[in-house]
Amino acid sequence: MSSILLPNSKRVAATSTVHFQIRCYARKESGMDPKKETIRRALYPSNIRNKPTPTGTWRPDVEKALQHAIPSVQAHDTIDRAWLLHKRHIRKRREAETERKFESMRKAMDELASIDSHLYMEANKPENPRARSPEEVNLLKTLKASEARASDARIRGLFPRELRVPTDTPSRTGWKYDWKPFYRPL
Amino acid sequence: MSSRNFISLCRRKPSVFSRAFATVTESSSTPTQYPIPPQNARVKPKLLTSIILNRAPILTPTPTPFERAYYAYQARLRRALFNPFPYDFYFKQGSILEHRFTLEERKRERIAFGREFGVADELDKEKAAANKAAVEQLAEQEGESEEMMPRIHPSDDARDYKSLDRKGKRNLYLLLQENEGIWRFPEGIVKKGELLHQAAQRDLLAECGEYMDTWIVSRNPIGHYRPPKKAPSSSKPQPEEVAFFYKAHIMAGQARPNPETVKDFAWLTKQEIESRVPEYYWHGIKDMLSEH
Repeated sequence: MSSILLPNSKRVAATSTVHFQIRCYARKESGMDPKKETIRRALYPSNIRNKPTPTGTWRPDVEKALQHAIPSVQAHDTIDRAWLLHKRHIRKRREAETERKFESMRKAMDELASIDSHLYMEANKPENPRARSPEEVNLLKTLKASEARASDARIRGLFPRELRVPTDTPSRTGWKYDWKPFYRPL
Repeated sequence: MSSRNFISLCRRKPSVFSRAFATVTESSSTPTQYPIPPQNARVKPKLLTSIILNRAPILTPTPTPFERAYYAYQARLRRALFNPFPYDFYFKQGSILEHRFTLEERKRERIAFGREFGVADELDKEKAAANKAAVEQLAEQEGESEEMMPRIHPSDDARDYKSLDRKGKRNLYLLLQENEGIWRFPEGIVKKGELLHQAAQRDLLAECGEYMDTWIVSRNPIGHYRPPKKAPSSSKPQPEEVAFFYKAHIMAGQARPNPETVKDFAWLTKQEIESRVPEYYWHGIKDMLSEH
């Protein structure tokens, strides 16, 4: 019904493609370089705003496609709620685990405070990423340039860059078992 | 009506979890045979540091069947509602790449919506066949895509507990077996004038070797453990011991434990640790470990 008003209907007949759905915004203009014409029609929305979407258009068979995609309105709502419930279960489990870990940490710090106040104060000090301990400064003088750079790269208080993000499949080489020891002062 | 039951069930569940640390709700018996040692304020307890060396998950978690079905459902919805793809902007008219894209797109339409979608226009059978042949030739020329490594490593099947490739989706923790046969985390004594996190680093290197690229996360301990008070065998009273746990990550290398104190080592998940470690120790450490 609304597909008749679409400006792309003429274009579809002209080309021999198997698509009956392309998105054309601006109308055809005669006497233009075809490459520029393609870019222009892809970029600029048409002036006739007869669709709910502000920039584009639905596919021509959107009603039929939606009917095949969604079983029914009630089914869609049920799926939505089931998904939210699933996410809630996961979230609650994760929050409970985090709370357990935090409680364990809090109790340990309380214990430490009752045992030794100096160690407790030291443990609570924030890490200064730009600080270099005197041992490190002495060590840097003795190392080569590349090794000094490697030693500096591990910044205290920040995550090391060697911590890998989980991937869908493992690396070809697997775990790196042979790692040359590199001394880093505490 | 049923949804309210679901929601009330969910509300009840987290409270059980959040109270789990206060009351031991597992079926195993509470460790009442070990008396809780009294706080001796006058004598300072001997400080130990222990390291929980964690190999973080290498692989992403497997989506459940429900998640996969939901993602497929959402993909269908998006495909139904999105703007039509401006193929004429991305592909040159009549090129082989356009034909390849068209074929693949028709297949995806059929998978998403059914047999009535993704039907080719009946233009020219010979031309369509020629296009298909050209696309196949292109695929041959490009060569096969790289084979992905399987998610299950051979060490999973072999149950090699020393391997760091085993159980890619899980968190693995380093556990050492003492000469007496007890399994525990690496630990050591805190020397005078030393800070706890420095002692933790030193103890880790001393007990497990320096052939590991490790990173201790923070200056703060993540937990503590008081061993059960043994019956005084000798006349002089033994000072209490308190072990503070520090979390560390391993990024490369392998443990080479000191053979004088340590007999064996293993990289285990939380459930596997539960089966090996003494019961009182387990109740002290289980809150610090990740479930997954």
